[in-house]
Amino acid sequence: MMEKEIKIQTKHLWFYYHGRTILENIQVEIEKNVITSLIGPSGQGKSTFLMTLNRLWENIDGARAKGSVDINFGNGFEDIYTVPVSRLRRQVGMVFQVPNPLPMSIFKNVAFPLRLMGEKDQIRIAQKVRDALERTFLWGEVKDRLSEDARTLSGGQQQRLCMARALILEPQVLLLDEPTSSLDETSGRVIEDLLLDLKRTCTIVLVSHYMDQVKRIADNGLVLTDRQLKQH
Amino acid sequence: MPFKEKLARSLFFLAAVLSAAVTLAVLGFMIALSLPVLKKAALWDILSAPWSPDHGQFGILAMIVGTLCIALFSLCISFPLSLGCALFIEVTRPGGPGKVLKKIVQLMTAIPTVIYGFVGVFLLVPIVREIFVYGSGMSILSASLMLGLLISPTMILFFSQSFARVPQSDLNAVDALGGNTVQKLWYVMLPHAWRGILTGIILSFGRAMGDTLIALMISGNSIALPSSVLDSARTLTAHIALIIAADFDSIEFKILFICGITLYGMTSCGILLARGLDRKPR
Amino acid sequence: MTNAFWDKLLALFSWACALLLVGAVSVIIGFLVVKGYQTIHLELIFSTTRPLDALLFKQQVFDGLFPAMVGTLFLVVLSMGFALPVGLASGIFLAEYAPPRVKWIFSLLFDVLAGIPSIVVGLFGFSITIFLHHSFSDRIFPCLLISSLSLSFLVLPYIIRTTQISLESLPLQVRLTAPCLGATKLENIFLVLLPSSLSGIVSGIVLAIGRCAEDTAVIMLTGAVATAGVPRSIFSSFEALPFYVYYMASEYADPLELTKGYGAALILLILCAGLFVVAYAIKTRLTLKTPYRF
Repeated sequence: MMEKEIKIQTKHLWFYYHGRTILENIQVEIEKNVITSLIGPSGQGKSTFLMTLNRLWENIDGARAKGSVDINFGNGFEDIYTVPVSRLRRQVGMVFQVPNPLPMSIFKNVAFPLRLMGEKDQIRIAQKVRDALERTFLWGEVKDRLSEDARTLSGGQQQRLCMARALILEPQVLLLDEPTSSLDETSGRVIEDLLLDLKRTCTIVLVSHYMDQVKRIADNGLVLTDRQLKQH
Repeated sequence: MPFKEKLARSLFFLAAVLSAAVTLAVLGFMIALSLPVLKKAALWDILSAPWSPDHGQFGILAMIVGTLCIALFSLCISFPLSLGCALFIEVTRPGGPGKVLKKIVQLMTAIPTVIYGFVGVFLLVPIVREIFVYGSGMSILSASLMLGLLISPTMILFFSQSFARVPQSDLNAVDALGGNTVQKLWYVMLPHAWRGILTGIILSFGRAMGDTLIALMISGNSIALPSSVLDSARTLTAHIALIIAADFDSIEFKILFICGITLYGMTSCGILLARGLDRKPR
Repeated sequence: MTNAFWDKLLALFSWACALLLVGAVSVIIGFLVVKGYQTIHLELIFSTTRPLDALLFKQQVFDGLFPAMVGTLFLVVLSMGFALPVGLASGIFLAEYAPPRVKWIFSLLFDVLAGIPSIVVGLFGFSITIFLHHSFSDRIFPCLLISSLSLSFLVLPYIIRTTQISLESLPLQVRLTAPCLGATKLENIFLVLLPSSLSGIVSGIVLAIGRCAEDTAVIMLTGAVATAGVPRSIFSSFEALPFYVYYMASEYADPLELTKGYGAALILLILCAGLFVVAYAIKTRLTLKTPYRF
């Protein structure tokens, strides 16, 4: 039997929004290369918890976090507040509930993170875009319309596009905030299959409010109630 | 933070400071340039005396009265008209005809002021002259009518916006109790929308006071105190436009800056009031 | 029964107001069209000069609207050239960087600036000219440069406001998309936020252009004159369409000049209405193409 390996650990993590306490003294460990689900009543801070893992809360007015989050990127645990924020967020990808393609073409959407990193080599960009789209089972559907506006895609396609965009940087951790809740059943299942495939290389934290979805694909579970996060 | 980010941030900040400085610079210039006059004559004398440069009198009372008269009359004309149109857009015909009216009103905001003045001179003034058989037709009435038309889009759009914000559930409650539209208006819509309505009135009043072309072209520009709406009058704005050609060093010219401050002060007060009202209740 | 009576009365009142307003506007526009449409042909604009010569500035046009139209064009281009970069940058600062208190103060100042009557802005421009005239060079007079600077003060608050509001109304998810992928604040603003709010900003800019083109009070104090020909430099006085219309209304010498006034008024009206329609089209078309479902 394989030894459990921990990827992310939080210590004394507190979170406040406009002075209100949202998360209270969270201490959890998240296992490497499995799907950890996060469930709990809506509006209690599940998305907030994800945002403490990639420091995205720093971009939101009135949010404040304290305590520590450590992630093992391969060289032992590192405090995420000592890692430069853009490097951290390239290693910790995030996908939201509602697909958020940028107002540009399909190709440019997926290539956007590479552009941010200053990648100039067009051949390598094209190759990586293709890889990312293939990983999300989208290549076959969009290969003839890469220059079309990304917002012409269907909801499920848009969500897979957003996943491809997050995956093109080859992140070690992927944070997913109810990625299927705005999609129909079939598109949702495609995403689930994709996640099962992804966990070979990625540590996935999945916020979900579908119990059956959690049962189908999650290996571990976290429950958020009354500002506390418990492993179960 | 990398250098580029810091540089951009400072540039944006600089631009904002520059823009804000314009507001203060306008005020500063007006004050600095009117100080020499204020040293020679008391402010009260300037505000209360008649304008008669040949007799050494440089009072702007007639212009202040003219400005207020024309702005007030145009408001009196425009307010009921705008209220009716806003009701048409939001309450009585919210479907097709209301939408068409709203488009027309929005398009009205694009009509240049000088066009209103031009049509006023050649169409409205002769009509007023014929109907009332009094003077040249260039009068407070003519100017107010045109100005009323100029400011009504501002008011209509403000009014209909505030009517549209009244919660549908409150309206349904009145309907459920069998109330009629007038009761709905009186008991639900006005209590909800009065702030927006008042804001619209204040801003349009400011617009009416600040307008130059209509008053300049069709109010007749007489420097006497008006005694009826058919009298000709001169506004502060028109006064500035008419006297500007005078010698830079003359008192007449320096008085213009007092007119400028007065206008600046009156419109800024309006803006402050409107902002105070616009703040969310609760 | 009384219910129906009151409802009918209200309907009657609102119909009357709507018809009155539409009627008044139609009369104004109709009057101009009826009186002016016959004058609108090339001769009104170019007089006896060959249009091509005039367009290439080879020959001055006398007695035509061409210099006034060119003057208005120069005014618009110059004042937008001043106002756009500063206005956009200020709008970005207010929306993305300013802390609440700073934002409050700045937006108060911009609201006041937006409320200042244009004649007062003109007076300000004029007094700057005098100031420069006295302290630097006595060859500085009211001119195209001063006019366009003053006009840019006039439209600055509009550009700032539309930029700020367009940026602020972007949904949170759009704001967070790029930072999630490691973008810095500046990259987020230029690569995502500005392109996403482009429709609002552009239509605001077009409306600001309309204000530059129609304003008369500012330019009559800062350098517009009745006859100047096509301006030779930014330091010369100039003609402009709205000023021409104003001038013709008060100083026309004979019926022929007056008909030219009607023609000019009609052209100005078409120009401003056209700009408005363009702004509207940009707003609706780009908004329709952006079906964010948040």
